Amino acid sequence: MSLDQLYQKVILEHNKDPHNYGPLDHATHRGQAHDALCGDDLQMALVIEGGVVTEAMFDGQACAVTKASASLLTDWLIGRPVHELASDFEAFKAMLADPTQRPVAHLGLLNQLQPVGAFPARRGNACLPWIATLRALG
Amino acid sequence: MTNGLDPHALRSQFPILARTVHEKPLVYFDNAATTQRPHSVVEAISSFYEHSNANVHRGVHQLSVEASEAFEEARESVARFLNAASAKEIVFTRGTTEAINLVANSFLGASVRAGDEVLITHMEHHANIVPWQLLCQRTGAKLKVAPMDSTGVLDLEAFESLITDRTRLVGIVHVSNALGTVNPVQEVCVMAKAKGVPVLVDGAQATPHLAIDVQALGCDFYCLSGHKMYGPTGIGALWARQSHLEAMPPWQGGGEMIKHVSFTETTFNEVPHKFEAGTPHVAGAIGLKSAIDFIESVGVAQIAEHEQALLSYATEKLLAIDGLRIIGQAKNKGPVISFVVESAHAHDLGTIVDHFGVAIRTGHHCAMPAMQFFDVPATARVSFAAYNTHEEIDVFIDALNHARAMLVP
Repeated sequence: MSLDQLYQKVILEHNKDPHNYGPLDHATHRGQAHDALCGDDLQMALVIEGGVVTEAMFDGQACAVTKASASLLTDWLIGRPVHELASDFEAFKAMLADPTQRPVAHLGLLNQLQPVGAFPARRGNACLPWIATLRALG
Repeated sequence: MTNGLDPHALRSQFPILARTVHEKPLVYFDNAATTQRPHSVVEAISSFYEHSNANVHRGVHQLSVEASEAFEEARESVARFLNAASAKEIVFTRGTTEAINLVANSFLGASVRAGDEVLITHMEHHANIVPWQLLCQRTGAKLKVAPMDSTGVLDLEAFESLITDRTRLVGIVHVSNALGTVNPVQEVCVMAKAKGVPVLVDGAQATPHLAIDVQALGCDFYCLSGHKMYGPTGIGALWARQSHLEAMPPWQGGGEMIKHVSFTETTFNEVPHKFEAGTPHVAGAIGLKSAIDFIESVGVAQIAEHEQALLSYATEKLLAIDGLRIIGQAKNKGPVISFVVESAHAHDLGTIVDHFGVAIRTGHHCAMPAMQFFDVPATARVSFAAYNTHEEIDVFIDALNHARAMLVP
């Protein structure tokens, strides 16, 4: 597996210049996730109105894969109904686990993370922002 | 470059070092996690299984005699290696962790009282934290922690002031796996002894790099792991003063550790067998002896000198990199360098240099409190052994620069 497949352009760009990175003071929901193995420590902050995510930010220290995943996820979350997020996460994990799977339409740009699935040791990094998000929902 | 040790010649004794990783020659810099084994160690183990395999101390037949002799020879070898007064002071364990747990359970377990104290340092491996924590939770004793300074050096004055008349034991790491710091164990023992407190030394990272003389150190317990010193996994040893072992109750029951068993009463075996319940890891002990033979054939002093040269060379090269900070800058260090790079997470550095064939460790190194002290979630760590070369450090530095170019904005 080549290095470029893991550290593809989209991951390196989101790592260097992440979207929605920083505090969100008026968040209505907050969740945290920690990966003891690599030391990632990630917080997700959301504003949820009428059962839909209207704002999303992330913060913390994380590796490039986690950061890129959080950056893409915080973009993608806007407008998503919260009651579907648990099943969305299942779809995301299934997409990572099977490199032959075709893009999942409703996951949009998150499909760009599929190559991470070929690095089993790093799949957890791509999932960490999801775990923090679902914890925020309680 | 070095006096007497030719790492290139040594490498031929380690078949694994000839392999490639991601189509690049392997550069193995994760020796603090586990070293590689020379062919002689693998051969000693397979030769035992193929020629002398039997249970020990049980049979009258020839194979059992041979196995028992080889096992006890291995004990003698560990005793000599540590300059123990007698082989009776060597208990075989699964490794350092089990040795520490043995002391926590047997030496302190039966006698410690609520309000008693165990004193450790801020740079301990989890193996020298958690067994004491469990003991304290069970008994109401208190775990106290001696601080270190910003270079990763133990604050000896503070350490001494933390020894009280309730201190029941001091636990200290000889060489820190996360920072490289070599602790002044002899001074620590003098301070503890002055107040009658026994000292346990976690020697896992020291035995492959330093000449160990437990009598000169003045400690009471010394723990080691075979796999950190070119030997097999699953075998280690506890050295303890014989008087302690005689006084300590057994901690696990079973065969081997008994003299006589009836349903009403059991008489325990003599030391050290009293602490070795069940069939021991005979092949592991034989492999450990072979590893000690390897270290002694190369020479502990020669190994140390070579590794210190690698440490200086790598430190200088790393410090020349923009945004790189070395965590743990004690003057007296083992061949371990922990570092962080601004805007580049350790996990990514590890993955990228791996694709250049370079194996390094990333994470908290089982020393989370030390990481918290330096306010870093994780570091990257390189650690050297006798077979590493200056050329390998150059390969690593190139790989690291490549990683920085990918990750740093």
